[in-house]
Amino acid sequence: MGIKQALFLSLAALVLAGGALWWQHRPMPPPKEATYEEVTAEAQAGGYCLITTEELGRLYLKETPGLLLVDTRQEWEYRSGHLRGAVNFPMEPTWWGRWRAEGPLTQLLGADKDRLIVFY
Amino acid sequence: MAVQLGYTKVYRDPLGYPAWEQAGLPAARMPAGLCNDTSVAQHSCLPSGWALIWTFLGIFSGGMALNLTPCVYPLIPITISYFGGHSGESRGRLAGHGLCYLLGLAVTNSALGVAAALTGGLMGALLQNPWVLGGVALVLVLFATSLWGLWEIRLPGGLTQVAAKSYAGYFGSLFMGLTLGVVAAPCIGPFVLGLLTWVASQGSAWLGFFTFFTLSLGLGLPLFVLAIFSGSLDKLPRSGEWLLWVRKLMGWVLMGMAAYFLRPLLPEAGWVALMAAGALAAGIHLAVLDRTPAGFRAFGMLKGLTWLGALTAALLLVGFFALRGPGVAWQPYSEQLLLQAREQKKPVIIDFYATWCTPCRELEDITFHNSQVVQQAAREFVTIKVDLTRKGDSQSEALVRQYQVKGVPTVVFLDRDGKELKDLRLVDYLPPEQFLSRMAAVWGGGKN
Repeated sequence: MGIKQALFLSLAALVLAGGALWWQHRPMPPPKEATYEEVTAEAQAGGYCLITTEELGRLYLKETPGLLLVDTRQEWEYRSGHLRGAVNFPMEPTWWGRWRAEGPLTQLLGADKDRLIVFY
Repeated sequence: MAVQLGYTKVYRDPLGYPAWEQAGLPAARMPAGLCNDTSVAQHSCLPSGWALIWTFLGIFSGGMALNLTPCVYPLIPITISYFGGHSGESRGRLAGHGLCYLLGLAVTNSALGVAAALTGGLMGALLQNPWVLGGVALVLVLFATSLWGLWEIRLPGGLTQVAAKSYAGYFGSLFMGLTLGVVAAPCIGPFVLGLLTWVASQGSAWLGFFTFFTLSLGLGLPLFVLAIFSGSLDKLPRSGEWLLWVRKLMGWVLMGMAAYFLRPLLPEAGWVALMAAGALAAGIHLAVLDRTPAGFRAFGMLKGLTWLGALTAALLLVGFFALRGPGVAWQPYSEQLLLQAREQKKPVIIDFYATWCTPCRELEDITFHNSQVVQQAAREFVTIKVDLTRKGDSQSEALVRQYQVKGVPTVVFLDRDGKELKDLRLVDYLPPEQFLSRMAAVWGGGKN
């Protein structure tokens, strides 16, 4: 290995290591609350409807048949408090997480395609 | 996503649980009982039928995967030197000898494995004993220096003689396998700790034997292939001196293994420094000082990449260690602290640990440095650490009796009234997500 090559490779190593460290500790923007418009747009794109807490509460207290509540948060969040009767189905909000969850989700939701399902 | 799956009435409640709780609608908590925690009593029942076959197939491929650990390196030159001298034999006879060799290896490994598992916690303690760790590391360093060409591995004279006498019978090969199994077994130990515990929990010597036998068959399969073809190795065209360079590289991998074994014995900073220095030394040895003539064009590039990789690894090790976020703020044990916690109605986490224990280190390095765990612990818990590294401290011995600590690590959770939640007690490493769920079980369950 020549001096030049060694120097070049050492520099490359510095850049690589520095890059990885920066990536690990990169400043994260604080998770901001999504605005109402954003949530609506997302729902439209995803083809699902939104439901308010009051509306859901009314349906819930009426004991609507077939109502399924799915808690998509992490298991420990579910453990520390959830809607009574909700099932926990932790899903990572990434395409990989969604792809992995497809099979189990179908099983969870059941064969009845017209049942009322509420995610939160 | 449910929409794509064809469901028609899909809704989302964007405000979720917090708003629901505020509206005073019915909510539920999952209290202390870890009903669907997979880490508890996972293997309590024995698989049967197809499940059993799949289990054993899994164990077999696990054994093959163990070949990725450097533990088998020392066996490679020995295997070649033993079988290489018999290139005159027919392929069929060589296969027979290889098979005997493989069986011998498997029998020794399985016997050692079963003995280790059925003596219970002893094995875990043994694999964490500083002298044993130091010894294994020393042997690995010796093998590494041999691979660098500082000395030559030779089988003990007596062993070769016995084997040579009975080589004609397949007994010789079997004997070789039986003896050499001792070389690999202790090194593989830490990688199959889970399997050891499983066998111990089953308590059946036969099941344990077949488990380890399957594992060793998988482990030995590449050696078996090597044994058959080592006769024809001579006929291969000489691939040049760069093979010596590959041997040096393997030596450095063994050195890395040795450092892995030494980890529990060194303080964190010292270990990181050792690893970084090792990576640098490997880079200098393999890429800068090495004068092996290049047998082919890409060899120079390979060396360059080695230097790049070694330097990057060293920098990353030091960098990650230096920039690591804060961990859980532990306090030393005191009665006063517990009283205070009870007054403030705060739950308590007590971590019993020792510096030489690997799972304790993992807990500390990964779980207790996870930002969410650190946050939750600071907000909801009083966190206490008890060091059990040295025996003879009267206070910690009293605590060990009081909480009936059987070994390290032991993590004890106390609820808001200072009572222990026994079913949450932890005696092994647990990844951050599952630890969070236990923490949630403590402060969630105590609120109602």
